[in-house]
Amino acid sequence: MSQQPVINPDSRMIMVCCGTGCQANGSMAVFQALRQALENSNETGVQTFTKSTGCNGLCEKGPLVKILPDDITYCQVQAVDVPEIVDSLKTGLPLERLFYRDPVTREKYRSHHQTNFYKKQKKIALRNIGEIDPGSIQDYLDRSGYYALRLALQRMTPEQVCEEVLQSGLRGRGGGGFPTGLKWKSCAAVDSIPRYVICNGDEGDPGAFMDRSVMEGDPHTVLEGMIICAYAIGASAGYIYVRDEYDLAGTNLTAAIEDAHKHGFLGEKILGSDLSFDIRIVRGGGAFVCGEETALIASIEGNVGEPRDKYIFPTEKGLWGQPTVINNVETWANIPVIIGYGAEAFASVGTKGSKGTKVFSLVGKVVNTGLVEVPMGTTLREIIFDIGGGVPKGRSFKAVQTGGPSGGCIPENLLDLEVDFDSLTAAGSMMGSGGLIVMDDRTCMVEVASYYLNFLAGESCGKCVPCREGISLMLATLKRICEGDGQESDLVLLESLSKTLQQASLCALGRTASNPVLSTIKYFREEYLEHINKHRCPAGVCKDLTEFYIDAEVCTGCGLCRKNCPVEAVSGEKKQPHMIDAVKCIKCGDCINRCRFQAVKVR
Amino acid sequence: MKIIINGTEIEAASGETILEVARRAGIKIPTLCYSEAFGGQGVCRLCMVEVKEGNRKRLVASCTYPVSSEVEVTTETPAIQEIRRNIVMLLYRRAPNSAYMQQLYLEYGCPGDVLPVDSEERCILCRLCVRACEKVEACAISTVSRGTDKHLGTPYDEASPDCIGCAACAEICPTKAIDVQQTADKRVIWHKEFDLVTCTVCGKRFSTPIFIERVQSKLGQLYDQELICPECKRKRTRKNMIAQQLGQVEGE
Repeated sequence: MSQQPVINPDSRMIMVCCGTGCQANGSMAVFQALRQALENSNETGVQTFTKSTGCNGLCEKGPLVKILPDDITYCQVQAVDVPEIVDSLKTGLPLERLFYRDPVTREKYRSHHQTNFYKKQKKIALRNIGEIDPGSIQDYLDRSGYYALRLALQRMTPEQVCEEVLQSGLRGRGGGGFPTGLKWKSCAAVDSIPRYVICNGDEGDPGAFMDRSVMEGDPHTVLEGMIICAYAIGASAGYIYVRDEYDLAGTNLTAAIEDAHKHGFLGEKILGSDLSFDIRIVRGGGAFVCGEETALIASIEGNVGEPRDKYIFPTEKGLWGQPTVINNVETWANIPVIIGYGAEAFASVGTKGSKGTKVFSLVGKVVNTGLVEVPMGTTLREIIFDIGGGVPKGRSFKAVQTGGPSGGCIPENLLDLEVDFDSLTAAGSMMGSGGLIVMDDRTCMVEVASYYLNFLAGESCGKCVPCREGISLMLATLKRICEGDGQESDLVLLESLSKTLQQASLCALGRTASNPVLSTIKYFREEYLEHINKHRCPAGVCKDLTEFYIDAEVCTGCGLCRKNCPVEAVSGEKKQPHMIDAVKCIKCGDCINRCRFQAVKVR
Repeated sequence: MKIIINGTEIEAASGETILEVARRAGIKIPTLCYSEAFGGQGVCRLCMVEVKEGNRKRLVASCTYPVSSEVEVTTETPAIQEIRRNIVMLLYRRAPNSAYMQQLYLEYGCPGDVLPVDSEERCILCRLCVRACEKVEACAISTVSRGTDKHLGTPYDEASPDCIGCAACAEICPTKAIDVQQTADKRVIWHKEFDLVTCTVCGKRFSTPIFIERVQSKLGQLYDQELICPECKRKRTRKNMIAQQLGQVEGE
């Protein structure tokens, strides 16, 4: 690749990603160092601005620094790199060593736009994130922010707004996938005031950070979506329920609400119309179940966060018994686009039953951990291998868990599944809020099911019997199988309990809690049977059922496993095949994880 | 409107729950967390029934499902029976020390190899005690924590200033899980000790002074100033009724 010189512009913008992942890797120090070096100085010959932005998605390679208009992206930047970056701006020669390197082809790319990670994505909900300073309403306005609200208030009737959202085919991004327009319409039709609008920002799935990124990186889009809805359904007050752990999200949203007030987007007679609407932030109490809408409503009311039977929807009787529209953060982020560009444009993206895009947090055993937004209908293979760069360390793909803790595990032969609400449900999993956890061959599927059930056992609200007691018994059964005391009849029990949970639980948490168990039994039954009948964990995870050995024909005698074994269970001469002492071995798996020749095996 | 339960047409008012309609018509649906005094809670899920609305069939909790259209209800199907058997089995596993659960466990023909979690436990977390406590306007107990750690108690498991020692919670508990220790003149419940008032008729200690006070303030003029235990009160009422009847007969 030839090195293109840096463009010589009139002014330059340097954007430092300060999303949670990048911050954890020291992006604030990078930002401050850059600002100090460049602000108010003419060192590089042009006026230079620095800006901190929300999450760009490529968290694996953070902290990210983008330079405009040169279109340069630097990865894994540290504060010590700053003087060199400043020099490169002076000399006009970009710093190739900080370029993105493709994990498969090893090719370097000057701009993130050229990389596979970004090329296959389509940003609608995340359109502004990474491009704007979340603390600046002007940045949001510069990117057509609040244009959709103006359009709705001045050119559309409330009914037209509802109809537009319905026509767009947008379905709730929180997991249920209910048509958003239908929800709004049915709420507007209930003859009772006041009506309320709620934003569900209680993202609690392990490994999920879609909503967090939106609230942190583009808070105004959430507000704009909610205000448009308030106009459409005639609501007077709104609440954003933010997960307690999301401190930055709360801070940025609070600032955004203040700025929106100053600009007349919130408060009395918004933009001169008859709409008066205000938004308050409620901090969650740290319970996973409060992501369930009726539990969330109970929590806002000051009650214990427990769901209720939803035979009467919140659209009819929601917050304080009044008609309420409650949507997830990502759903709100789509609204300004639908109103601004029209339902037809939005509906042109996606599949027949699921329109638009979906944001996924791609984590686990995948090269490019991060946040991605793809059109509905993109295959799992494209997401995991093209965008995600596949499984690291030469290991092989085993399964992907979608939809959070109560989603299901999808095996390799379904990788070409086109992801949308209905296809995932048909495969025994679900869209959920959009977590994608990739698992490699070092994953035991029985242990995985047990892991998620353990999470749900603690996070079930404990109100209804099937969920509280059912999960407890299923967990005990799975643990027994992992310890080698399982019986084939346990699978019958697990399946029967799963059915009871699906059919009789009070809320969606319990109704979907058996997905990890059912999907692993469905796709990895052999692995269960091997645990039960052969007392063997093929992945080498369940300690009671694992014995590691070294294949003498493959072992090169490099000694890596021997040097790192914490209990000195590996022995062998240099360049000679090594051995594992099964008595000393504590089955930590360090040797099998380290071996570069796949010589360590499970007996 | 009319709804159909197990093939029989029954008159139902909009908003009434399926369970209420069924009970009125003498159709049995089993429950564990339901009391007419408090309405449905949707907690035990034993009352699941199948509802057919148009072409759509689904299972709902009959104690919380409000009738809003002319639906068709089936109270027993193989799927429902399996659910009920599992629920009873799960609750027996939780509360094996309750005679009531032991009996249900046999009645529902649950599998015999269930390993109980805690052999001393009797509580099934039906929350009827919490509802009773709310009803007497004490609100001293509630469920605490979540998930498998959920249990019943007073705040911080200490003596609650709100508890009036009425023992309505223990009275309504279907599994006799609430510990009430009563000696000749004292009652200990929920970590709190209460003196007891004496029945002016039979001399038995029967209630706590603070509870009597609560009833007096609620009933005002209606309250019979005499301290009399429920048993003696019943006897006296009976006697009075008979005397009244006899008087009427004599007067004719």
